[in-house]
Amino acid sequence: MNTSFSLRLIAATASLGLLAACGGTADEAPGEAAPAGDEPAIIDERQSNFEGIGDSFKLIRAELETDTPDFAAIEGAANDINERAKLITGHFPEGTGIDAGYDTEALETIWQQPAEFEAAAQKLIDESAAFAAVAAGGDKAAVAEQVKALGGSCGNCHDQFRVDKD
Amino acid sequence: MASRPVNVWDLPLRLTHWSFAVLVFAMWYTAENSLWFWHTRLGVALFALVIFRIIWGFVGPPTARFSGFVRGPKAVLGYLRGKYPDDQRIGHNPLGALAVLALLGVMLVQTSMGLFAGDPYDGATGPLNSLVGVMTADQLTDWHADFLWVVLGMAGLHITAIGVYSMIKMDDLVGPMVTGTKEMKPPVEGIAGTPWPRAILALAIAAGLGVWIWLGAPPLG
Repeated sequence: MNTSFSLRLIAATASLGLLAACGGTADEAPGEAAPAGDEPAIIDERQSNFEGIGDSFKLIRAELETDTPDFAAIEGAANDINERAKLITGHFPEGTGIDAGYDTEALETIWQQPAEFEAAAQKLIDESAAFAAVAAGGDKAAVAEQVKALGGSCGNCHDQFRVDKD
Repeated sequence: MASRPVNVWDLPLRLTHWSFAVLVFAMWYTAENSLWFWHTRLGVALFALVIFRIIWGFVGPPTARFSGFVRGPKAVLGYLRGKYPDDQRIGHNPLGALAVLALLGVMLVQTSMGLFAGDPYDGATGPLNSLVGVMTADQLTDWHADFLWVVLGMAGLHITAIGVYSMIKMDDLVGPMVTGTKEMKPPVEGIAGTPWPRAILALAIAAGLGVWIWLGAPPLG
């Protein structure tokens, strides 16, 4: 083996090693300024609750993209959002926001303006109940119109209490 | 005979290269910091720049042309065995050619997915988001986020390779990519001047495509 081939092998091996290392760390995403002690379990709990709301909301919109939406499925998803919305205010004990150093998008305004936060959560409870009622009617145009109000009650809370994602 | 500087990389190629470096970093930074106003705009710019580089790969000078540097597996193996006369050639070597294709490929895939990514009810969206269904957009958004690791992996590999060439092979790749010239001994000749009319036409096509996409690809969107 000549020297130059060895060098090229070293180069290739080093590069592949780096690639492997990148792959290995891909799944770990530690919070940058995690405080001492474990992250409160409630953060995971509320994040999966919001993901559930997001999934149900996407299911509703995907159904409305079809020619013959399944209104029973839409109503079921709306009820799921409604049930999950009722859990929201109980998911935010003080000191679990982004300012406490946790891997979360929850802003401090949640605890600075508790009345407004509660009102925003209540709005989602009310809108999802109203939406379920409209969905039960089976009128596609009416349901499609009501989706905007439902989506608006998600955004309303995000705008005030979540890290800006726009 | 004494070596003298010859032209190896044309100016549009170098500007494109360094813009890639800046933009890929900016795309990561804007995503990490939720600066979606800039992420979406710079993303379309990066997409258009990749398109420019692909067109340039067909109409640019020999060292920019895919047909001028992309070689088969035999040539790549030959290169790894040291059978490639580095000192008698300019431009990408057979292994570097694969890196060019891979780097352009991951940028093209990543920016293309980004054009459709996002959710209008939850943050920013790519300009073509409304052309696909909510579930498709959701899937592409997930892939777009995960594919970041492939982009970073390729960028890391690229930078590692440059380091290896400069420190072990004593071959400075960065200098020529900045100045466009490299010290070569005769009879090795550099590339001729940049075909500017073709460069401007290629840029116009790429920029036009970028603007059209930014507007939502009318009349489709």
